[in-house]
Amino acid sequence: MHTNEHTAQIEKFIIPIGPQHPALKEPGHFEFTVDGEIVTHASVRLGYAHRGIEKGVESRNWTQNLYLLERVCGICSHVHATAYCLGVEKLAGVEAPPRAQAIRELVAELERIHSHYLWLGVTAHEAGFDTLFMYTWRDRETVMDILEAISGNRVHYSANILGGVKFDLGEKEAQTIRQGLSFLEERTHHYLEVVSQDALFLQRTRGIGVMTLAQAETIGVIGPTARASGLARDVRLDDPYAAYDRFPVPIILDDRGDLSARVVVRLKELLASIETIRHILDDLPPGELTVRVPRKIKPGEAISRVEAPRGELFYFIKSNGSEMPERIHIRTPTLCNMASVLTLAVGHHLADMPMLLAGIDPCFSCNDRGIVVQYGGDDHDHWTWERLRQFGIDHYKQLESGVF
Amino acid sequence: MTQLIHLLFFPGGLFLLALGMGYEWLDRKLLARLQNRQGPRWFQPLADTVKLLSKEEIIPQGANPWLFIFLPVVALAGTLTAALYVPLFGLPPAHSLPGDLILTIYLLSLLTLGTGLAGANTPNRFSLVGATRTLTQLFAYEAPFLMALLGPAIVAGSWQISIINDFAGRNWLIVTQFVGFLVAVIGLMGKLELPPFDAPEAETEIVSGALTEYSGRGYALFRLAKNVELVVGLTLVASFYLGGLANPLAFILKTGALLLIIVGVQTLLTRLRLDQTVGLWWRYGALLVLAQWLMIVLAKII
Repeated sequence: MHTNEHTAQIEKFIIPIGPQHPALKEPGHFEFTVDGEIVTHASVRLGYAHRGIEKGVESRNWTQNLYLLERVCGICSHVHATAYCLGVEKLAGVEAPPRAQAIRELVAELERIHSHYLWLGVTAHEAGFDTLFMYTWRDRETVMDILEAISGNRVHYSANILGGVKFDLGEKEAQTIRQGLSFLEERTHHYLEVVSQDALFLQRTRGIGVMTLAQAETIGVIGPTARASGLARDVRLDDPYAAYDRFPVPIILDDRGDLSARVVVRLKELLASIETIRHILDDLPPGELTVRVPRKIKPGEAISRVEAPRGELFYFIKSNGSEMPERIHIRTPTLCNMASVLTLAVGHHLADMPMLLAGIDPCFSCNDRGIVVQYGGDDHDHWTWERLRQFGIDHYKQLESGVF
Repeated sequence: MTQLIHLLFFPGGLFLLALGMGYEWLDRKLLARLQNRQGPRWFQPLADTVKLLSKEEIIPQGANPWLFIFLPVVALAGTLTAALYVPLFGLPPAHSLPGDLILTIYLLSLLTLGTGLAGANTPNRFSLVGATRTLTQLFAYEAPFLMALLGPAIVAGSWQISIINDFAGRNWLIVTQFVGFLVAVIGLMGKLELPPFDAPEAETEIVSGALTEYSGRGYALFRLAKNVELVVGLTLVASFYLGGLANPLAFILKTGALLLIIVGVQTLLTRLRLDQTVGLWWRYGALLVLAQWLMIVLAKII
C-alpha cells in the first residue's frame, strides 16, 4: 500500500521532513505534498527509534524491569514506572500505602510541570520565538532542581519501587518545593499573559489547526490535545489511580480547539498541578512508604492506565507466575494523537507544520514499537535475519555503483 | 595608489569585512544576552569564517557547478561595491555620482538575488522552497524600502548619497519622516532576513532555506556578504534619518543605536509566515510610505 501511494505522488512536490530535521527533536519521517505553500497531503512513517524494550522486558525480572521501563521516555519517566508498578501491584494483590501513593502523585505532577514547560519552549522555538524558548527553559530549571532535591536525580527520578516509593518527604523538602512552586506560579501567569496577548504569537497560533469536538472524538485524541478541543478526557478523573481520588485535579477544558487553545490548556494545567501539589504537601498522609511484594507474581493479566503529560498511557501486563513477565505492552499517547496532525495538516501552510506537530507534544522514541520496511519486495511484514542482511549488502552495492 | 588603499584596506575591503564581522558579533551577542544566553566570544564570526573557508565545498549533483561557485562571489562583490557609495565610517563616500542611491540599492539586492538563484540552482527541495520564499520576500520589501529611502532624497532635492548625507546633517529627518524611518529599519531587517522576517531560512521548516546545500567557501562568502550588507544598510539608514554621518564617532554611535533597535525587534517578535510578511508590507508598509511621500511632495509644492 505504501509503495502504491508513493508512485502515485511521485509527480507532485513533496517536502520530506525527517528522519533528520531541525524541527524534529527525535527521528520520524513526514512527507508533506505541497501546492506552493499549501499542504495538500500528509503522511507519516514511524519506527526509527524502535529499541525493542517490550522484548527486553521479557528477559528481566520484575524489579529490573522497573529501571528499564523508566527509560522508555526521558521526559515522563515517572509515569511509566507508576503505570508499571500499579499494574504489578494489582496482579500481586497488594496496594502501596497512602503516603507512597501521595508521593507518587506529587512527583507525577512535578513531572507534568517540567514536561509542559519543556513543551512550551519547543513550541515557541518552532514558531521562531526563541526568546520565549530560552526563558521557559531557564524557569524549567527550577522544577528540575526541585526534583533533584527530593530524589537525587534530574531526569530519571526513580521514585517508584514495587509496592511503594523510595524516598520520603520531610519538612525541609516541602519547604523547597513550596518556594520553587511560588516562583513557577508567578512565571506561569506571565507566560499565560504572553501567549494570549502577544499579537504576533497569536497570528501563528489562533485559528491554526482547529479541531472540532466531533473531529477530536472521531480521531480519538487524548490528553491536553483532546481537552483543548473541549473533550473531557483525563484518566486522573475518569479512573483515579495513586492518590488522585484523595487529591483530585481540576480538569482544564477549552472549546476553541486551535493551537492557541492547546498552549493555554497546558499552561492552565501547570497552575492546576501547582495547586494540587500544595494540597498534597499540606495534607500528606502519615504511614509506611512500602509494602512487601513477592518476588514471583501470581499468573494473570492486568491493565494499568495513567495520565502522562501528553495523555493516557496504557500498560498491559501479563504474568505467568515466574520471576519475569510473560508480556508487557505499552501504548504511549503520541500514537493516538499522531493521526490528528495528518488530518489537520491538509489546507494549512507549510510554515504551520512544525507548530501543528509540536501541538500534540510528540515523543517518537516512546511511541515506536516496531519497524515497517517500506522498500524491498512485496512481503513487508516478514523479514528474516538473512533477508535483512542480504538487503543491506545489495543496498550498499547499489549505492557504490551509483545506480541508486 | 591611495585609490587602491581605499579599495582594498580602508575604508573598503579588509576594514569593511572586519567591521561586518564586528557588527555580526554585536548582533549575536546582544541577542543572546537579551534572550538570557551567554552568546559568542568576540572572535567567533572570524573563527566561523576561517573554518568555513577551509572546509571542502561539496557541489550537489544536478546543480550547475559554475553558478554554484560564482553566485556567492557575485553576492559579496555586489555588497562590497555598494559600500563604495555610502559614507562608511563617517568618511565621505569613495565614489559619488548623481543617482548613486538607486545604484546602491540595486547592488544591495544582488545578495538576495544571488541567494534566490543559488537556492533555485540546487535540486534540494528545502532550497527550492527557500528560493521561492526569498524571492517572494524580495518583492514584498523592496518597493517600500526603496520608497522609504527616497523620502529623504526628495527633501534633499538630490539622489546622490553624499548630498543627502550633508542635508541630513543639518536636519534630523527621523523627526519629520518617522514613518519612513520605521519602514526603512524594518525593510533592512527584511533584506537581511533577520527574525521575525526569517521565513526564507526558517530552520524548523526548511532547514536553512536557499543555502541548505552550501557548506564551505560558498557559505562563508554568503555570510560575509550578509555582514557587509548589514553594515552598508545600517550606514544608509543612519545617514539618511539619524542626522547624517560626518565623523567616525557619529558613525559608531548612530549605527550602534540602530543595531540596538534591530536586536530589540528580533528579540521580541515571533517569526511571521511568508503570507503574513507580504501582507504586512503591502497592506501597511507600502501604503504608509506612499501617504508620507504624498505629504512631502505636497509640502514641497506649497
